[in-house]
Amino acid sequence: MTLSAERAPAAYETKAPLVGVGARAAIRFWPLLVPLVGLVELGAQIYDSHKAPTAQQWSDVRSLVESLRAPGSVVVIAPYWAEPMARWKFGAASMPLRDVARADATRYPKALEVSFLGKRSPELAGWSLEQEKRSGPFTLRVLANPAAPSVTYDFVDHLDATSADVLIESGADAKACTFTSPAAIEGGGLGGPPIYPASRFVCEGQPSHVSVGVTIIDDEQARPRRCIWSHPPAAGELVTRMRGVPLGAEIRGHAGMGWLIERDRTGPPFTIRVLVSGREIGRAVHVDGDFWKPFSIPLGAFARQTADVEFRVSAERGGTHVCFEADSR
Amino acid sequence: MKARAEKSYAADHLIGFLLAIGYLVILVKTAHGIGYARDEGFYFRAASAYADWFERLMTDWKAATQQAVVDGYWSNNHEHPGLVKMLFGLSWHYLHRKVPLFAEEGTSFRFGGMCFAAASLWLIHIWGARARSRSAGLVAALAFALMPRIFYHAHLDCFDVPIAFMWTFCAYAYWRSLARPGLKWAIVTGVAFGLALDTKHNSWFLPPAFVVHTLLSRGASFGRGLGRGQIRVPLSLVAMATLGPLVFFAAWPWIWFDTIDRLNGYASFHLHHDYYNIVYLGQTYWKPPMPRSYVWVMTAATVPTITLVLFVTGMASRLRAHAGRLFSKSAKRPFDPGSTDLLWAIGIGIQYAPWILSTSTPIFGGTKHWFTAYPFLCLFAGAGFEVVFERVRELLRTSRLSVLPGWALETLLGFAVLSAPLAETIHSHPWGLSNYTPLVGGAPGAASLGLNRQFWGFTTGAVTDWLNEHATLGRSVFIHDTAYDSWEMLRRDGRLAPHVQAAGPYVQGSSIALYQHEEHMETIEYQIWTVYGTASPAYVGAYDGVPIIYVYEQAPK
Repeated sequence: MTLSAERAPAAYETKAPLVGVGARAAIRFWPLLVPLVGLVELGAQIYDSHKAPTAQQWSDVRSLVESLRAPGSVVVIAPYWAEPMARWKFGAASMPLRDVARADATRYPKALEVSFLGKRSPELAGWSLEQEKRSGPFTLRVLANPAAPSVTYDFVDHLDATSADVLIESGADAKACTFTSPAAIEGGGLGGPPIYPASRFVCEGQPSHVSVGVTIIDDEQARPRRCIWSHPPAAGELVTRMRGVPLGAEIRGHAGMGWLIERDRTGPPFTIRVLVSGREIGRAVHVDGDFWKPFSIPLGAFARQTADVEFRVSAERGGTHVCFEADSR
Repeated sequence: MKARAEKSYAADHLIGFLLAIGYLVILVKTAHGIGYARDEGFYFRAASAYADWFERLMTDWKAATQQAVVDGYWSNNHEHPGLVKMLFGLSWHYLHRKVPLFAEEGTSFRFGGMCFAAASLWLIHIWGARARSRSAGLVAALAFALMPRIFYHAHLDCFDVPIAFMWTFCAYAYWRSLARPGLKWAIVTGVAFGLALDTKHNSWFLPPAFVVHTLLSRGASFGRGLGRGQIRVPLSLVAMATLGPLVFFAAWPWIWFDTIDRLNGYASFHLHHDYYNIVYLGQTYWKPPMPRSYVWVMTAATVPTITLVLFVTGMASRLRAHAGRLFSKSAKRPFDPGSTDLLWAIGIGIQYAPWILSTSTPIFGGTKHWFTAYPFLCLFAGAGFEVVFERVRELLRTSRLSVLPGWALETLLGFAVLSAPLAETIHSHPWGLSNYTPLVGGAPGAASLGLNRQFWGFTTGAVTDWLNEHATLGRSVFIHDTAYDSWEMLRRDGRLAPHVQAAGPYVQGSSIALYQHEEHMETIEYQIWTVYGTASPAYVGAYDGVPIIYVYEQAPK
């Protein structure tokens, strides 16, 4: 093949007058745009590679974060993808696991938003600005929750032998599960269940997944949600009873299976019945595809009383993954 | 004229050779920084088995060709053909086991793949030079070399860059055969097709591509031939149909026995491949329908924009030239028996078609599955550069800059269009798959858009220093998405100290845990939190501020 040898390609190209003279004059200089695009891209490459904060800059802003973060408030990073840098550099004191894997932000009275590149957290939309500071590439905003609730009790925080009992009820049979710490850590893996933690209620005679303990699942946006693992048995209900709960006006919570499990929508639905002092006050029914779904149950006459609260979990066809969290407010 | 042409191509071959050698040296020198990807681990194992078989073949070919022996070595990773893995294995056998040329064992396997990448530059340059001009060939080859994703994959002992070379080489041989009807290039085409079949299944697209090209470029003469009861099929297509399968069969011992069943198994594996998870614009896809925009957006987000601009310029100018000839009776037709532009366009179109035409084509693998289109894209980009150069020279003719010699202008323009790809490629190393172009705001912009940050667990290579320091004896490491063989190669290379041990497949039982971020794998990170009781990493490997790999450490009990 001797294309270029026989005739230079430019020489045999036809330059048909496809556009008018005026237009041609206007676009006369287009060839210069091409190298210009190259140089602009070079500049943009240099800018982009430096626009997000470095590890050192995250370290540098740590003391300001600690000084602005009020006790009981949550630190939120915008954009969310940068959160691991914050967890690394701010540490568990500012970003404890409990906050990072929160059910939602509604229970916090205040938040400290650490943002850069002009990003804002959608989670905090509508919160009122109390204070704003800039430090290097960061903007730090102290925000107040306009509808901050008074949380009287967090059920996840109290899942231990001192506050809770767990049992399996099937018909007239009831079999207690034993709080074990340390239990063998089980579960996990990609596509598998979440971790069955080292401190959990172990139900003798049941497979290890039929147990109750605090774990973390992924929601439909792959966000972490700390919750009470409560896989029901093949038959009957798995009952978690919290003793002497100071109640607010309602019980609010969320339930899900974990996105990776739930996304195929092949599991059976599950039901969480909520009982106060032995009386059912409401239930949450979860169907595959509901993902991390909130529920709210008014306490009615039980409001602001102290009473035992039961979460009774059951599912058809031998059960499914169930993880829920709840508080009273 | 002829003598001058041959001399010109000899110089171009020299340029191509120097490009190839230069690229090969750069790849070898930079290989250390890139950790081993999942698939590399599987191919290390297969390649060393095939190399052992080869050694046995050399000493006792009769025994080595018995089915039990062949199956013993070649059943390993038989879902892919063996040629390229064989080359990885021979590279390892001769350049590491026999002559310790490479300091790291992993590099000796990878060297086989790197040679394909280097040869690609030579091939692209010579094709561009023959079809357009020397500068077009040079810009095309460099544009290919300076695609960050190509640069990353060019290091690996995987098939994606090798098949890009083999596909292009087969197309080049076919193109040459059209210009020089005769046996030589037809045979080369047939053999190249067989070798491409032995490289990766993208090669299945070669016959339809060439048939379509033949029909479109020679339809009229076909019609006339049919009228006379004659069918003139290019000899290269005949060679592909005859020599191709023979070479394919000969170079893959696995199909020497139970051939039909094994070929069925091979085809079935790829036609019914699992859908792996991949995030795209914030949504993880794991089953059809896959988004049709994926190939467009990912190409735009990962190929340097100036390369795409040159490609569009080149494509448009060629279209304009062809359109001009269609509508102008006086226009001269160039001598182009290979219908070059059509072949290049088909070379791109047929690679993208599976994702454009079907929402069932898997999108995992990022951009690597359509790498076979990139040499053609770059050849058009080279043509675009040529057009820009001519037009700029024309513009400057009446200015004071007209004193600028042509070579100086070409160099300046070359710098302008290649500096960004060069900067992006240098900066992408060793993170490779985490790199995105400024069009989407670089890595931070891509993270905000919800584009994939990595796959294959190769970024463990970025935390080896931390592990060597902190993973003391008795503190085993959960290695997450890194394949065990890939991890072991880091140890065999000495990149991981002997005391750094991998834990089992679950987080529990480990003291240190790696998490290579992929959206659908977040659940693994949460498992680490639950077991270790903390959400605070001990170290984060970040690229341009974007967290890529996190290391967790369990507090001593």
